[in-house]
Amino acid sequence: MLKVTELTKSYGDVTALNALSLTVQEGSVFGLLGVNGAGKTTLLSILNGLIGIDSGKIELFGLDIIKDRKEINSISSIIPQHLAFYENLSVKENINFFASLQNASKSAISNAIEINSLEGLYKQKASTLSGGQKRRLNIAIGLLNNPKIIYFDEPTVGIDPKSRNEILDSIASYKELGITVVYTSHYMNEIERICDEVAIIDKGELIKQAKLDDLLSNRSSDKILIETIFNTKLSSLGLKLLDAATIESSQKELTQLLTLLENNQIFIKQIRYGSSNLEKYFLEVTA
Amino acid sequence: MLWAMIKKEFLLVSRDKHALLALFVMPAIFILVMSVALKEQFNQDAISFHIEIKDEDKTKESAKFIKKLFASSSFSLDEESAELRITIPKSYYDLSRKNQNLDIVVLGSLKGGLLEVFKAKLLKVVMDFKLDQMSKKIKKTDFQASKAMKKMSLEYVDLYNISYENKEYIPSSTQQSVPSWIVFGMFFVIIPMSTIFINERKQNTLQRLTTMNVSIFKMTLAKIVPYLVINHIQVWIMLGVGVFIVPFFDTPALEVTGSFMAIEVLSFGLSLSAIGLSVLIAVSATSAEQATTIGGISNILLGAIGGVMVPKFIMPESMQTLANISPMSWGLDGFLDIFMKSADISMVAYNASLLALFGLVALSISMIILKIRISRGL
Repeated sequence: MLKVTELTKSYGDVTALNALSLTVQEGSVFGLLGVNGAGKTTLLSILNGLIGIDSGKIELFGLDIIKDRKEINSISSIIPQHLAFYENLSVKENINFFASLQNASKSAISNAIEINSLEGLYKQKASTLSGGQKRRLNIAIGLLNNPKIIYFDEPTVGIDPKSRNEILDSIASYKELGITVVYTSHYMNEIERICDEVAIIDKGELIKQAKLDDLLSNRSSDKILIETIFNTKLSSLGLKLLDAATIESSQKELTQLLTLLENNQIFIKQIRYGSSNLEKYFLEVTA
Repeated sequence: MLWAMIKKEFLLVSRDKHALLALFVMPAIFILVMSVALKEQFNQDAISFHIEIKDEDKTKESAKFIKKLFASSSFSLDEESAELRITIPKSYYDLSRKNQNLDIVVLGSLKGGLLEVFKAKLLKVVMDFKLDQMSKKIKKTDFQASKAMKKMSLEYVDLYNISYENKEYIPSSTQQSVPSWIVFGMFFVIIPMSTIFINERKQNTLQRLTTMNVSIFKMTLAKIVPYLVINHIQVWIMLGVGVFIVPFFDTPALEVTGSFMAIEVLSFGLSLSAIGLSVLIAVSATSAEQATTIGGISNILLGAIGGVMVPKFIMPESMQTLANISPMSWGLDGFLDIFMKSADISMVAYNASLLALFGLVALSISMIILKIRISRGL
């Protein structure tokens, strides 16, 4: 449904995107990864019609992203990293303003408010909202046109873990509504948590595009990652830990390890094949 | 869509207290302060001097002279805070003696041409008195000449017929202050405009609007309409201050002799010019602080050059020519024509067109800069 073919964009002598091609399936949550300056923002800007392209072709739901810009704008939405609304207006005034610009239906407005739990904040001035509430308002505005695809540009920067969880849960729920999500973030655990598929771009080129499970699973590897529910005993068992709750082990040691965990009443959240998590993989391929 | 954008802009400006102060309170205070402070500078007939008299003659004649002096509203006896001391020498009234001068000592500091004004006013009283004396002297020998002499008036209105041609009108302090600070205040739309605009740009709200199919033209138009209305309200409030509030401070009220439609047309051109310049500064600056600094400085410079701070009629000719490069001067001249020469639309059409053209050019350049900035994500 979103098909980028041989996309090239340069700023003077600097090539921001170099013959980039990728495909995003309808209804998926697609993670876009890359270091700063990799070309993510340029790609998002092009996808949202903010800048032109030098060459290549982009199709969204069969529409040409250059020629059919207005139509595409009506079915897509971007959630900018910055809080792109008016702090001196109330939540209601912000929602009404952006809804008017897009002729949003009443159901779309109430849907956006409900998904982002803004009902109780409706009359509050936006500047008085907490960081998490502001992020939710920022996202709600992006839902007002009932988009078929939403681009998230690092939407959880600078907010507390609770709000981040709520936002990630709501984004994961868009899948049930049939909305396609393109998600960029520096937080690999967020990508791991909500994305079905991932593309890694570096220096304007596609390094890898794959299903997240395929990327993380390396079944030929002997290594196994065991993610546990946090328990203070874990650190005293002399195991190789990747973080406070994740154990790196081998297939040979698995039975013994599981017994050890059971004896210490440490509960397992997830067992994964492969020697790396997404962060490790990302660092390897972009090194 | 456009109405939503305009409504949003109104809401944002109405909640910006600093902007409201700069747009409405600042020019109103300037009008009051400057009208009152400069009323005597603009009306020399109303100037009065505090004087002390030392009468060494001590005759009936000298007493009459002193009485005549203080009968004029131009002089008041005030020994404590006298600016000048006049000494009447002995035998001053003896017409047969030569070189009998009044001895005048300047006690305080008389600024600018005030000493000349004093001399002129005193000369009138002295000449009046001496004519009266001579008339009495020759009454017995030449009755007709004495009668003619008595009829002689030294009042300015009887001596001179002063009329003004074209731009030679000298306004009163209110006539000068009201349009000056209306024009100056209108250009202060830069403050709310730049704050809102730069926040929109910095927070990518403008980019978000672009993705919602809001064109650069509509964004700009949505900025123009609210500020046209705000400027319009400013003009009428400031005129109200000139007409109704200024007289409470013992200062002449503003008299609007020209056509109200001329005020509307000129205000529209002036507003477009102020908005154009403000949008241009707002889109060119990188921060709200930078925009308000550049905006403030450019307003003060345009005001200083354009005759807002210093009236054009007291500027040297070279400065008056230079003043014509400032759009504030075009607006100010238009308003002075309306207030002093009963100007109608046709008389202010040229200035209004020039102002509108300036505004439209600035807005066109702004739209180009804004398009470039949005495409670069700035």
